[in-house]
Amino acid sequence: MHEHSYDIVIIGSGAGGGAVAKELAPLAAAGRRIAVLEWGAKLADDAYTGREVEMARQLYFDSGGVLTKDRTLTMAYGRAYGGSTVVYTGTSLTIPEEVVRRWDVPGIEAEDLARRSAKYLAENNVHLLDEEELNDNNRLFRDGCAALGYRVQQFPINVKGCRSSSLCNLGCPNSAKQGTHRVQLPAAEAAGVEVITNCRVTRVGEGSCEAVVADPGFGLPTTWEAGEHRVRAKVVVVCGGAVNSSALLLRSGFGSALPNLGRYLTLHPALILVGEHPHPISNFHGHPKSFYCDHFWESERFLLETCMYFPFTTSKNLIGFGAEHSELMRAFPRLQMILVLAIDPALPANRVVLDRDGEPVVDYTMGPEVLDSLHRSMVASARIFFAAGAARVHAPAGATFFIDRRDADRVEELIPRSRVVPGKISVASAHLMGGCRMGRSAADSVTDGWGRVHGARGLYVADSALFPRASEINPYVTVMALADRAAEHIRTNAGELLAS
Amino acid sequence: MLVMRSLTDTQARFFETVAETVTPEVASLDAARRARLLAIVDDALLDRQPSVRRQLGTFLSVIRLAPLVRYGRSFDRLDGARRTAVLRWFESCPVALLRKGFWGLKALVFMGYYGQPEHWAEIGYAPDFDGRPGVRRA
Repeated sequence: MHEHSYDIVIIGSGAGGGAVAKELAPLAAAGRRIAVLEWGAKLADDAYTGREVEMARQLYFDSGGVLTKDRTLTMAYGRAYGGSTVVYTGTSLTIPEEVVRRWDVPGIEAEDLARRSAKYLAENNVHLLDEEELNDNNRLFRDGCAALGYRVQQFPINVKGCRSSSLCNLGCPNSAKQGTHRVQLPAAEAAGVEVITNCRVTRVGEGSCEAVVADPGFGLPTTWEAGEHRVRAKVVVVCGGAVNSSALLLRSGFGSALPNLGRYLTLHPALILVGEHPHPISNFHGHPKSFYCDHFWESERFLLETCMYFPFTTSKNLIGFGAEHSELMRAFPRLQMILVLAIDPALPANRVVLDRDGEPVVDYTMGPEVLDSLHRSMVASARIFFAAGAARVHAPAGATFFIDRRDADRVEELIPRSRVVPGKISVASAHLMGGCRMGRSAADSVTDGWGRVHGARGLYVADSALFPRASEINPYVTVMALADRAAEHIRTNAGELLAS
Repeated sequence: MLVMRSLTDTQARFFETVAETVTPEVASLDAARRARLLAIVDDALLDRQPSVRRQLGTFLSVIRLAPLVRYGRSFDRLDGARRTAVLRWFESCPVALLRKGFWGLKALVFMGYYGQPEHWAEIGYAPDFDGRPGVRRA
């Protein structure tokens, strides 16, 4: 067993861990020892090949296909230097005031989160793309929404020198996306924070954690020897994401004192729909996600976003198989895609648990209200495709594989609610939230509004696990804002927390 | 013939049979591409819990034998139309476990086929690190 001693250890290097590392970097510059322990590998810039299967295997847990316990939903979350910020599309939204009110966490104010979010929007070079940078897939969505009177807005995104590869979800091959691997982590390292990759933390406690370093067979070498490590630290900040932060605390025995640990998981269950145009459109060149429609946000509890996925991801999200499936795949250059996100309620029964080996299992059931939202979102998306000029539409719950344009006014009838069947339609999630929710006390939550774990000195959570309910938007900026709060609390109380 | 580490030879050959119905293009793959398909699936299965591999093996047996009830023949002795009918039944099966099993099996076939960059040209997918010239088309 290798032994190490630090003042602060940060577990995970995504939006939460990266932000905490950078915000605490002044302490490192002043002589404090700070380490970031990251499960995933750091890839060299030229290792981003854009090949779907290869990159998914290197950058995601289970290649982006982690299954829920009932196997009706797959979850995609990153495992890399930079965590999920390596594989998101960089869409950068500030959490709406209404959602913060719904969260109802003492000390969490919309104005405070907006101020902190604005800092990261500036730091990450967030801006709107110019009109000439928008491809047809995105413009057709905007125009279709506008024709129907649906409210549609452009996503601000965090790129610098984007070359329109459209490969964001496989890690940008042009180093353009301003994730923590490009912004916060290098800045923290320059100030003296150490980042140890290929390092899986297995247990955590007040004042220490245990980790295992192993070579995954790809990526740059790490600085610690392979094997088991024990790390002493006065402050531990858990930033492993909703599933792994919850699992780590459960495995470490915090569940008995914190009955809400692992619970209230929300996932923004998502579907992909495709519309086929009669002529080629630009779709797999250009940023994949430029617009979103929040017209149905309050009324039907879903959001629509533009998207463009890769051949395998697209194929598995289509319903069916055989000749008609192949026919649709061969129409790839004519496909317009829409991603729908259901805004799911936070329920105690939806949670992270551990299996017999101590590995996380996500026990999540899509309730009727989620299936209703997915159904309504399919109908709305079909209308947008036709309004944008599509010749036919493929909806996962469609009564037929294709809905032809001449039946455009029958989409309600041709996408029946009864066909929204879990396990048949392909539902995925890339927004994993909750499990270590903020709140008032151990009776209703796991941490307070600063991310401090109730009853545990020097132990913080700073990632999407903190969300008490869904963020109802793409979550990374809110993760950074909350991580900023945790870092501020540690900095402000460093004298007491880091005393020998 | 590729030896899969995650499935027995019998299971692997039957997986190929099912794959030809799920994605008809598989039937005309040359030996090298067929081996790559199986290698991609093999890697994916080896990355997952051993229980997943066991469940897949069992599910393949269920698909092979299920048609005996209706057609009096195993799946691999049916013609193409009947194979498709059997898989359609699994896809919409009222038993959730079988429906979800088929979804997983189908996803593996798609991964093995569409995960090969050599097949991208057939569907018109041509990514480029510099996609700017291709952004505006319509």
